Amino acid sequence: MANNQVATLDRSFVAVAHPLRREILERLAQHDELTVGEATHDFPISKPAISKHLRVLEDAGAIVRVIDGRTHRLRLNGDSLEEAYAWLARQRELWERKLDVVEEFLRQQQNAAGTLDTPRTEDGA
Amino acid sequence: MSNVDVDTGTVRVERTFEASAEAVFDAWTNPEVLRRWWKADPGHEVTIPVLDLRVGGGYRLEMRRPEGGEDMVVHGTYREISRPDRLVYSWEWEGTGPNANHESEVAVSFMEDAPGRTTVVIEHVGLLNDESRANHARGWNGVLDSFAGSGIPR
Repeated sequence: MANNQVATLDRSFVAVAHPLRREILERLAQHDELTVGEATHDFPISKPAISKHLRVLEDAGAIVRVIDGRTHRLRLNGDSLEEAYAWLARQRELWERKLDVVEEFLRQQQNAAGTLDTPRTEDGA
Repeated sequence: MSNVDVDTGTVRVERTFEASAEAVFDAWTNPEVLRRWWKADPGHEVTIPVLDLRVGGGYRLEMRRPEGGEDMVVHGTYREISRPDRLVYSWEWEGTGPNANHESEVAVSFMEDAPGRTTVVIEHVGLLNDESRANHARGWNGVLDSFAGSGIPR
């Protein structure tokens, strides 16, 4: 994995480290686009604090901000968050691949044994 | 059957083979299998400079890409060897990956369900380092579930 991908992955983990940031992501995941007010409705924190959380999410590439006049709309950027999940999935694939190789190896062993058995089977027939 | 638990950094993989537990265990620990497994591309040059199959013994796998670039290297230590039932070893990526120089653990269980039929369960535990896991916290699965329901390709 290239360094810049690692950095992106780290930021993705940081992005979801806070419950309010996860809440924002959850809300955005259910809608195409939300205004900042909609995405952070009911949050028991100040506006500057909200801005800080949004900045973390933006820096991580988790969300995209679309500025339309005085309205700021937020949209989920699925790709960057996928990366964190994809890394673990790749570790799983490594094991799946090892199992494939083990399976093939066992089949070759059994085939080799089967070839040796053949004369005996013919003798018995 | 396999799954990934991103909350705990655990990967679990399971498969059933038409062979005895001994045969599967021996195949699993066979250097030739290791060499083939690591070869993602026929051009890759694989070396196993260390393979010491005993408790406390180590292993080291290196894959060199023909086009150059960084080798893929992993090393570890055998912690439990109970042929043909169970094999436990540590696992540590080298290099610059997100878990480089972080030790995780692989536990492989070989269960002969019926004569000549063995189910292998691999549990790779602690794949994420403490920082990643702490940052990760809970809810990641919820986010991913939401993605699944939102039509965003995953």
